[in-house]
Amino acid sequence: MSILTYILGFPLLAALAIAFIPRNYRFLIRLVSLSAGALSLLSAIAMFVHFQTGAAGYQFVEKRVWVEALRISYHVGVDGLNVGLVLMAAIVAFAAICAAYEIKEREKEFYLLLMIMISGVIGTFASLDLFFFFFFHELALIPTFIMIGVWGRGEEKNYATFNITLYLSLGGLIALIGLIALYLQSGANSFDIVEITTHLQNTPLPEAAQKFIFPFLLLGFGILVSLWPFHTWAPLGYGAAPTATAMLHAGVLKKFGLYGLLRIAIPLLPQAASFWLDIVAWLCLGNILYCGLVAVRQKDLNLLVGNSSVAHMGFVFLGIASLSIVGVTGAVVIMVAHGLLAALSFALSGYLYNQTGTFSMERMGGLMQRMPFVGAVLIMCMMAGCGLPGFANFVGEAMALFGSWDKYKLITSLAVWGGLVIGAVYMLKAIRSIMHGPMPEDLPATFDAGPVRKIPFALLITALLLFGIFPRLLTDKIEPSAKGILAMTKSKPVAVAPLK
Amino acid sequence: MEQLENSAWIVLLLPLFSAVVITLFTRRSGRVSALISIAAVLGAFLITLGLIPLVRQSGFVKVPPLNWISVGDFRIELGLLLDRLSMLMLIVVTGVASLIHIYSYAYMKGDPAFSRYFASLSLFTFSMLGIVLSNNFFQMFIFWELVGISSYLLIGFWHGKASAANAAKKAFLANRIGDFGFLLGIIIIWTLLGSVNFDHVEQRLITNPAALGAFAGLVGLLIFCGALGKSAQFPLHVWLPDAMEGPTPVSALIHAATMVAAGIYMLCRTFFIYQASSAWPEFLSFMNGITALEIIAWSGGITALLAALIAVQQNDIKRIPAYSTLSQLGYMTMAVGLGGTSAAMYHLTTHAFFKAMLFLGAGSVIHAMHHEQDIWRMGGLKKKMPLTYWTFLLGTLALAGVPPLSGFYSKDAILAKAYEQHTGFFILGLIVAVLTTFYMARLFIIAFLGNGRSNSAAHAHESPRLMTVPLLVLAVPTVLAGFFGLESYLSKDASHAHGGGINELLFGPINHAPFAALGGILAVVFGLFLAAGLYLNANRDPLPLKARGLARTLRNRFYIDEIYGELIDLTQGTLARLADWFDRWIISGLLVRGVHGTTEFAGRALRLAQTGNLQTYAFLLAAGIALLLLLVFKP
Repeated sequence: MSILTYILGFPLLAALAIAFIPRNYRFLIRLVSLSAGALSLLSAIAMFVHFQTGAAGYQFVEKRVWVEALRISYHVGVDGLNVGLVLMAAIVAFAAICAAYEIKEREKEFYLLLMIMISGVIGTFASLDLFFFFFFHELALIPTFIMIGVWGRGEEKNYATFNITLYLSLGGLIALIGLIALYLQSGANSFDIVEITTHLQNTPLPEAAQKFIFPFLLLGFGILVSLWPFHTWAPLGYGAAPTATAMLHAGVLKKFGLYGLLRIAIPLLPQAASFWLDIVAWLCLGNILYCGLVAVRQKDLNLLVGNSSVAHMGFVFLGIASLSIVGVTGAVVIMVAHGLLAALSFALSGYLYNQTGTFSMERMGGLMQRMPFVGAVLIMCMMAGCGLPGFANFVGEAMALFGSWDKYKLITSLAVWGGLVIGAVYMLKAIRSIMHGPMPEDLPATFDAGPVRKIPFALLITALLLFGIFPRLLTDKIEPSAKGILAMTKSKPVAVAPLK
Repeated sequence: MEQLENSAWIVLLLPLFSAVVITLFTRRSGRVSALISIAAVLGAFLITLGLIPLVRQSGFVKVPPLNWISVGDFRIELGLLLDRLSMLMLIVVTGVASLIHIYSYAYMKGDPAFSRYFASLSLFTFSMLGIVLSNNFFQMFIFWELVGISSYLLIGFWHGKASAANAAKKAFLANRIGDFGFLLGIIIIWTLLGSVNFDHVEQRLITNPAALGAFAGLVGLLIFCGALGKSAQFPLHVWLPDAMEGPTPVSALIHAATMVAAGIYMLCRTFFIYQASSAWPEFLSFMNGITALEIIAWSGGITALLAALIAVQQNDIKRIPAYSTLSQLGYMTMAVGLGGTSAAMYHLTTHAFFKAMLFLGAGSVIHAMHHEQDIWRMGGLKKKMPLTYWTFLLGTLALAGVPPLSGFYSKDAILAKAYEQHTGFFILGLIVAVLTTFYMARLFIIAFLGNGRSNSAAHAHESPRLMTVPLLVLAVPTVLAGFFGLESYLSKDASHAHGGGINELLFGPINHAPFAALGGILAVVFGLFLAAGLYLNANRDPLPLKARGLARTLRNRFYIDEIYGELIDLTQGTLARLADWFDRWIISGLLVRGVHGTTEFAGRALRLAQTGNLQTYAFLLAAGIALLLLLVFKP
């Protein structure tokens, strides 16, 4: 069995086990979840370490035919594109299980759903079969809705649940239509992504078919990644979601759409892509500038973090739209980096909410004096968010910008402004009003994180720093796969900077 | 022996090591943290000294680079560049930083966050050394940002104080605006030339001066934006005076001697991009005929004048030297703009020594006066703090440009360059020289001479030895740095570095450009008499009585901060409000709630078949699967 099956299997087994544990054995439930998460994380690290950089094709492949007639098979494997994503998913999953500590009611159900969600999240990025790719995504999405609806917080909880459910189901449905159309049109008679890809490489789809299918995939995936103007579900939904759920969804599951664009839509529908990506490049400014400015105005920490998370998606879209090796590699780096960062941001805001009982930044202040550790992590997190070198986000965002200037001069210039200036404005504002300055008198007693609760923060920050200081851990793996994708878009000359 | 150049890595990494060790292990023990930090920076200084012969021999040492990223054409090799320019800067940074680390040990004693202070200081030293040693644009940008964040952490060191927290934020944002241009410039250079390495880009521009095409002028300006932010040049100068909210040794190290000099250093390092032709892209065609260097020179000149004028009416013992720093940086920028990179670096070096000394002297006074910073509450400190008094006097005279102190020679180099290039800039330089002497003499007379004007002034006493010794050490280069022929060392011009002997060294300026030298000296004399006439034995400032409107405008810094506040609110603020409104009411209000309403209507219709809202997803999923099966089995 492939190690990937273990990575996504442990959480599923844990979910199964939890179902049989009586509900008052809280400690045991947590222990099982944490151990499954830890095992999954260790396996993912082992996979990442043993990944052969530059080797052709997929690694750690496992393929079991499931429905012979439809050629649906359980097929998992990684190449440079998703190896980092699977590792990131496992890291975030473990951190999320740690953060689930805050749940005090109906723990059994929560952990059960959480473990199913984790399994789905990891499975999505490991799958090489269209059916399972989509299936795992839904497997993760359904618990998301339930968790927000039942364990969510805030006054807008019901509306947020409704909103996010509606939006994401709609996005999923539209993407599904596109995928089915692709399956039918490809002529490969298979759900296997590898087989479809090889087939279409030899006999590309006619342009008319491409132009019909691509908008479905773009719109569907775009909604799932909160592409402007389909983004409003995200800040609202994350604001209401329990910490662990927000971490997993904003961090990992949301990347499903981006991954789908890169793995499926762009290489398989290259001619349509080159037409539509110009529009995406403009829309990404909606994320970077518009959502950045919206974030500037927020007084609620979770809404600020949510909007900033939406804003960062713009850089991924820009990198992908550039269709240059530097830009696309950068986009994948951001996907990994932002997953870690978004998880960290929501873990922090969740922690602060638990301590202060509010998300309102106006009611916080001077917390650095009370909680030096959490404060330091928050500052690092905010700095990573506004692209400080040393953190992985800087590498990805810089590469996305370097890669796209040649093709989109004005857009890139504005995106640099959005990343360096607008990003800094709201991040610094958050630090200033939460951590710095004098402490308000009516603030309840707050405490710094104890040793156990430090684990998720330390884990995520370490990962961000590791990939930020040694970016080749990621870029060397991503580059060959990104080249493969770009090679399939060769129908149009690819914009690459001139040789020296 | 042949691996000696690799020890430059140790110079760079020692402070980083110290920052990491302090953060992870010795947070609780301030003394140990301080000792680690001091040892690291002293070690870096000593190794730097050991590297001098290496650079002297070959003039240029390239340390083998590390491959940091390599994707397509995007190859970033972290390497170290050791040449005359970086060597000089290395000595200045490690030398001044060592003294300030030691000084801080006494100054910051008893602060609850002693360890955090030294960790941040080490982080800053690391980042600054990174800028100095960078061999490519991208690496420089990385350290550029790291310097920005360490400066942010140090300005906001006392973050519980609202003013300090605000100043830190302001500094970081102003720097970020500059960095926007810097990064964009680097992106354009890389896209057009395919490399970010200094030597590759320089080679490309030498072989083909038009390689940057229509973007040549724009690239020059964009790169200069980085210097605008970091070196606090007009119009991004507003953050530097506020940065004085940080501890005084930090102001001495970062906001006087090193970080703010990084912009000048960067311009000198990348000067080759300004030698290419200054063409402008179509949308900037109105700029035709103007070179990027001219804009740089004007920006520097305006900053020099503006800041010197403002300094005349400040009353804070740290803000006066802060505006003076702005003004002197303006001098240096002006020199770069006029093509005098070696003059700029010369002044940068001497200024680093005497300005650091002035700030540490101010810190010594503040320490003695129990954190009193208003000069009108001081006075008569001459007798109470003799060592501080004498070193401060020396620093004041050097800054004013009194021969034969180092400041005279370096300022003269700039004035001579201006005289040779452009009379307008020469006159501007002279006016600034008068003002410089005037405001420094004012500060000195009020704070140190006369009688004590407050209780704490009467009871002030000399600072501990750990604070006065660095002052004395800094006095040495303040006096002597003018005699080494630094300018010719930098301009790689050996002809008058060796000839002439002591006579040439002392009187070189007068022999080469007598008009500039005499003009400079006259400016000093004029400024000195003016200040002495107004402020000797004065108990309050007579200037506001004589020129009320002018004095108020100067005291309020020409209202630039207020204008910016309004401007930012008008532009970014309005845009943000607009986006927020649109998001709240149009996208999520009208559209989403509209869809919501329609869907709810449909949902009500379907309620007979469905049980509730949460099941909507189940319905959609089922519908999807049904559709799938239908489509699959249809053909």
